[in-house]
Amino acid sequence: MSGRRMVGPSAWVFGAAGAFIGVVAAWLVSQGNPGNMGLCIACFLRDTVGFFGGTKANMGAVAYIRPEIVGLMLGAMAASLATKEFRPRGGSSTPLRFVLGFIFMTSALIFLGCTVRAWLRLAGGDLNAVYGILGIIVGVTVGALFLKSGYNLGRSVKLPAPVGWLGPVLAIVLLALALASSSGSAPMGFTVTKAKAFATGTTPPAVFLKGPDGKPATILKPEGATLAEDGSVVGADGAVVASAEAVAKAKPQPGGKRAPLYIALVAGLVLGVVAQRSRFCSIGGIRDVVLVRRFDLLFGVIGLLVGAFVANLVLGQFNLGFENQPIAHTDALGNFAAMTVAGLAAVMLGGCPFRQVIMSGEGDADAFAAVLGMMGGALFAHWYGIASSPKGLSQYGWPALAVMAVVLVAIALIKRERTA
Amino acid sequence: MVEVDVRGFSCPVPLMRTKKALEAEPEAITVLVDSGTAKANVVNLLKDSSYDVAIEETAEGWTIIGKKSS
Repeated sequence: MSGRRMVGPSAWVFGAAGAFIGVVAAWLVSQGNPGNMGLCIACFLRDTVGFFGGTKANMGAVAYIRPEIVGLMLGAMAASLATKEFRPRGGSSTPLRFVLGFIFMTSALIFLGCTVRAWLRLAGGDLNAVYGILGIIVGVTVGALFLKSGYNLGRSVKLPAPVGWLGPVLAIVLLALALASSSGSAPMGFTVTKAKAFATGTTPPAVFLKGPDGKPATILKPEGATLAEDGSVVGADGAVVASAEAVAKAKPQPGGKRAPLYIALVAGLVLGVVAQRSRFCSIGGIRDVVLVRRFDLLFGVIGLLVGAFVANLVLGQFNLGFENQPIAHTDALGNFAAMTVAGLAAVMLGGCPFRQVIMSGEGDADAFAAVLGMMGGALFAHWYGIASSPKGLSQYGWPALAVMAVVLVAIALIKRERTA
Repeated sequence: MVEVDVRGFSCPVPLMRTKKALEAEPEAITVLVDSGTAKANVVNLLKDSSYDVAIEETAEGWTIIGKKSS
């Protein structure tokens, strides 16, 4: 074979885009986003679902429409319209894409992060992410074997224009709801986690805001409760809702940790444009190395890791170790297995969740189905208690992973094209 | 002239099929794509495999024409 470059000049584009995304993500943490979660597609879609699912689906602590998601979709839409790449299309096994998105999200919530956050966690010093990344590599390798043996979801076709606008329309509806709830009102009874809210781990939890002195000031939940002199929270009926010790140990709610709305929105828009133009993909980098021996896309994830790592060092956010990492657990085997399943689901979808959000903005109804599947998976994972907590996997974690792995293999076998 | 039609396929099928077609080292190759991502990936692959690339916009996407550079 004559002179085939495995790394072309495009590697620089991917590397620069990845580094830029990493720097912005680390910076968003300094602006208020949860630790090592400047940008996490799984977490942010989950939080957005929490706004709708609310306390009914055990999502009270994470109920917040993440403006980053809105920005990503609209940024990608603008960039694709400007370059005439916006094309309403779909019909490539659309229902299966919903299922694959569902499985991706459920397994990502067992790991606690998507394939983007896995790298951001490592860049913040969270060594548990190493097991997740090893899992991604194994999942992608298995997916590459399926692709080699002829797996694909079939061709998409051009669709009527309105179908292509589903993603951007959802983004605009989310933006309207986010703006309405940021003005202080929770429209139509949706759940909104207050910014900087703290919650105790006791049931029912006491949720409160801290005053300037660092002590609980405003009590948000339960209704009518007051703060007693000894520091405990007392309900309207006089019973102690949370002991002084529980109040002192209360932790910030993940959904309450956020960059200011406009900062998050603008960051999302910029990242949406960068991702649409560069075609950054957190899965494609590894996949292309394994499958077609091309290394260009890999520079994207390396850039992401290096960019976020340097920014974390500069911002004083780097904390090396396994224990006490933000929104993470230390179950090595669980982290590995969860990301093996997530990585495989992402390869079978044709790209990472970040790409699915971006392509939804480009008019791709199949990618939009995957995004809806991810949102459904988030609702399901929290409702049934499948999602992990910082303490570790839930009792349903392993059974869920086993079922999802079987479903993925079944889909891969069904969608095998022998001519390839 | 080899023609590869990868319209409608998601990643990485366009890249895989183009790469397979390139194994025969054709003097010229035409690849039909209909997404911006597939276009960019295929163009990069052809350039890195020593082909001169021209792109034509069509009603259904793009026609990428690669000719072996001398």
